[in-house]
Amino acid sequence: MADSPPAHRAAPGKSQAKRGKDHLNAIYAHPLPLLFGPLPADTPLPWATNVLGLFGRNRIVNPKCVGVFDAATRSVWITNSKDTFILWQRGFFGKGNLSRSEPSWLSRRINQLSGPKQLTAEEVTARRRELRKQFKTERAQALAAAAAEAEAIFAATGEMPTPEAVPAIVSKATFQAKGQQSAAVLPGADSVVTPPLNAADPSLVDEVDDAITPPEDMEHLQLTLQEAFFLAWSVGCLNIIDPTTNESIAPSALWKTFLAAHDFLASPDVPQSPWFDNPFLVSYVAFHHYRSLGWVVKSGIKFCVDLLLYKRGPVFHHAEFAIVVIPVYEDPEDRKSSPYDLPNVEPFTWSWLSTINRVNSQVKKTLILTYITIPALRRISAEELKSPECLKHFTVREVTIRRFVPARMRD
Amino acid sequence: MENHPTYKDLAPICQKYPRAAGCFFQAYNDILFSQQWEDVQIIDVEATKRGVITGRKPNTEKSLTVVPCALAESLSTSWLRSIFDNLAPSPEEIYLAITSEDSSIVYYKISKGIVKPPI
Repeated sequence: MADSPPAHRAAPGKSQAKRGKDHLNAIYAHPLPLLFGPLPADTPLPWATNVLGLFGRNRIVNPKCVGVFDAATRSVWITNSKDTFILWQRGFFGKGNLSRSEPSWLSRRINQLSGPKQLTAEEVTARRRELRKQFKTERAQALAAAAAEAEAIFAATGEMPTPEAVPAIVSKATFQAKGQQSAAVLPGADSVVTPPLNAADPSLVDEVDDAITPPEDMEHLQLTLQEAFFLAWSVGCLNIIDPTTNESIAPSALWKTFLAAHDFLASPDVPQSPWFDNPFLVSYVAFHHYRSLGWVVKSGIKFCVDLLLYKRGPVFHHAEFAIVVIPVYEDPEDRKSSPYDLPNVEPFTWSWLSTINRVNSQVKKTLILTYITIPALRRISAEELKSPECLKHFTVREVTIRRFVPARMRD
Repeated sequence: MENHPTYKDLAPICQKYPRAAGCFFQAYNDILFSQQWEDVQIIDVEATKRGVITGRKPNTEKSLTVVPCALAESLSTSWLRSIFDNLAPSPEEIYLAITSEDSSIVYYKISKGIVKPPI
């Protein structure tokens, strides 16, 4: 973080970690893409604002981002760097398709071609892993050497060697990789890394040595359909283009398009009319529930769960909660007639619960089972599925799972 | 997807197996640009109803096989067996690339039977 802004550098006595946090707080100050800015002084206030005094002299600044629906990957792609910046920095929407989280492929590629200027999160992890691997090999060698020496002493003298007689084995804390000044340059967690996002910053591309031509950016920001619908319908800051017509998809058509996106999963023998257990609908209910409560919601594929919840966002903390979405049919008959075979509908086994909980407590995440009740077709007509209005018929219940260890949890 | 620079190489397979086009495209681009494998090639394996990707990890000699699939798909062991049977020469192991809709990919290494771990 040698090039943090001058404002932060000027504050003496602040630790590097604290400055890093300030820097992150400044970049990721907004929880949603919408901004609340002051009105220009000469604008007359709208009647309602004036009378009710709701927002004072403020207005909402809508960034009006643009994305393209991609049917094959069942996602929405953001390819322009301005919108990528906005959606990632204000609310951590989407994921770079060639990166771990924010799109940094171009920065990594440029670093690779011209020598690093500032390490991206992926590069920090790669270096940490390399160091760990080196530590383990050297420790294994030292252990083997110590054992051989002890054997030799025993063979020569017939006595057990004293600990001082054999070479010391380096500990993880004192380990210094050969040819490395200090291992301490590597930050411990993602949170300390200054976010790169240089990929979209044209000034960085200009800085690159003239010797290399900046490569073509092969990466885009990929939004899940849940994220895209939340941004387009709930927040109203995303315009989604149909690539076949190059025109934007109207809100009512968007709902229909996204519901149809998972038709390939449906059994072909059942009519493709909309169903309350449509996979998009069920996952959207879960996404919308947590996102509206202020959590940053990401995919949980790496931890055998459906969703991960971050407080504020992945650059600040590791995910705190792991969510398994469990659909519950209000009317079990609906399940039989439905063309979808949703996961986690069957009663789960103890071994399943134990496995998932162990995986997640290992990484210090609390497991939450999120039960989503699918409204019965005999109670609510399928007509209601024509618009997002039908979301009000779903209910969400949560059960938190924690492993109880009697000997350790007496207090 | 159709406008991406790599699509022209993938189009024949994507059009032949539209159901697997998304996961195939995602895995291919991850292998090529993110993992930076070398000598990356595509094989059409009709029995699996999708394209399979082969290549070498950077600075290694061994050719590896990657089979893309989507998180939402249901797969069976007989389907996995058919991958081994329909590749020539039949590989010792394959990597199953499971893709999710936010573009995350997890790779699982699948071997024939029990494999003794390296010492």
